[in-house]
Amino acid sequence: MSWFKEKCRWLNKPSRIAYVFLFPSAVLLLMFNVYPLLASFYISTLDMKVSFDSAKFIGLGNYVEAFQDKYFLNSLGITLKYTLMEVPIQMIMGLVLSALLTKNTLRNQIFRSIYFLPIVCSATVVGVMWNLILHSNIGIVSHWLWKLGVQQTGFLTQPSTALHVVIFVSVWRTFGISTIILVSAMQNVPHDYYEAAEIDGAGKIRQFFSITLPCIKPSFWFLLMTRVIGSLQVFDIVYTLTKGGPSHSTETLVTYVYDKAFVSSTRMGYATAMSEFLFLIIMILTIVQYVIMNKTKD
Amino acid sequence: MSKKTKSIFINIPIVTVLSILALIMLVPVIWTILSAFKMDGEIIRFPPTFIPHKFTLANIGKVQSRLNIWTLMKNSVIYALGQTIPSLIVNSLAGYAFARYEFKGKNVIFLVYLATMMIPFQVIMIPRFLEVNALGMYNRYTGLIIPQIANAYWVFMMRSAFEGLPRELEEAARIDGLSEFGIYARIMIPQIKPALITLIVLNINGSWNDLLWPLIVTSSNNMKTLSNGLALFIGTGTEQYGAAFMGGAISLLPMIVLYIFGQKYFVEGQVTSGLKG
Repeated sequence: MSWFKEKCRWLNKPSRIAYVFLFPSAVLLLMFNVYPLLASFYISTLDMKVSFDSAKFIGLGNYVEAFQDKYFLNSLGITLKYTLMEVPIQMIMGLVLSALLTKNTLRNQIFRSIYFLPIVCSATVVGVMWNLILHSNIGIVSHWLWKLGVQQTGFLTQPSTALHVVIFVSVWRTFGISTIILVSAMQNVPHDYYEAAEIDGAGKIRQFFSITLPCIKPSFWFLLMTRVIGSLQVFDIVYTLTKGGPSHSTETLVTYVYDKAFVSSTRMGYATAMSEFLFLIIMILTIVQYVIMNKTKD
Repeated sequence: MSKKTKSIFINIPIVTVLSILALIMLVPVIWTILSAFKMDGEIIRFPPTFIPHKFTLANIGKVQSRLNIWTLMKNSVIYALGQTIPSLIVNSLAGYAFARYEFKGKNVIFLVYLATMMIPFQVIMIPRFLEVNALGMYNRYTGLIIPQIANAYWVFMMRSAFEGLPRELEEAARIDGLSEFGIYARIMIPQIKPALITLIVLNINGSWNDLLWPLIVTSSNNMKTLSNGLALFIGTGTEQYGAAFMGGAISLLPMIVLYIFGQKYFVEGQVTSGLKG
């Protein structure tokens, strides 16, 4: 007991206690984040299922196979298409809405909290909800659209429309985040800039383009990059809306990886190798983001 | 045109568009919640109704027999709280160390922490699953919770919160003979309550809504959480619409309540702590 007290007293120095404070998080991060990342490079060179006992080293075999796997290439294409549509819509909506809702009036606060609401809902609930809303028999929106003269029903079960619906629902769920972040960036723009512009006779739209936009550029870039990275990793909303179907038309990279590792097969080595492409793309984007952030700082 | 009439001409269309958008956000949520209280006959009736003609609680029984909802709910609560409380302690300790202490290797260690934020979960999910499996934690609460506790985002957020506190606070306590841990726990922690609440609110919301990790690490019906149990239920192409609506409503309501009381913290968390989600 006295030995323990002694140790405690020895540790109770600012320069030493810091390591004690860091210890739990460091161990957990090393075990469950850093180590799995390093292990993933090794696993990606193995032909293996759940057990390492029957694993066979095949070098870059998994990567070569990926490039010949038409479903993998398809999933890359879908992911790209999804990102190129979802992110711009999201960013433009965020910009316009945040410009309209910058001031902290009661009206604006109410609108902002309504737009932000779906973010607290899980992707599952949102997926379930839109599945039922667009259901061809019981869905109320399907019914309203039908009344408006839209003949088609079953938007989620048709390969030609399913991806667009997924994109719509994803924007519906998350544009509130973009709006809130841009609102807080716009509120930080010094007020006298606008007063000076007012005196010079610049209109509201002119002010937006020559004052607001340049001032929020760092936040805008940061948001854009995080949105792009997030879109490349999309899984939840696709899984709960369509599970990648119909006929692979909404199958993104991560849903395909998940499918190969846990659903249609248990090819852990191959699935890991495919996920490394995601790692590579995200690393490149992170570096680009870092460079741009440093540039916009000056 | 006078300034006033001009502003009305601009304002009315803007408010109209904003209101339509607000309806697009609210109608699906409200319709789902209302439909949870409709009879099966009414749900499949043509044309679909918005407000139930007759309120019924029959779907609560159905959602229990089809989905085992109370077990799912229990697991979600265990996951959310079991992860949030240790996360609060572990990450705030680390954030405190980075904010208040000088020690050898601080910058390098901090960089490593930052770097872990850039590791996409989707890349480490398979090795992590194999690891959890090898450790015998598959299909257990430990496997669900422990890997998710430490998170550099929270460390980073806690560090910024602690950094703003005055030196004198900690020095006075040191002179009074409080141990370093005592200073952290009794003097400093109470000073950063808003940041702590932000962490708690976002953490509870994050694990309640988490889909991919519970999907990977649990398979038995007794271990599923609300969000993956519900996703799998819908995935089977069920015609148990009443149960689906009720399941959705039950999983939605706690988060809406959390949002109503903690909206400020949600917004703060999104804006300051990096943009997760």
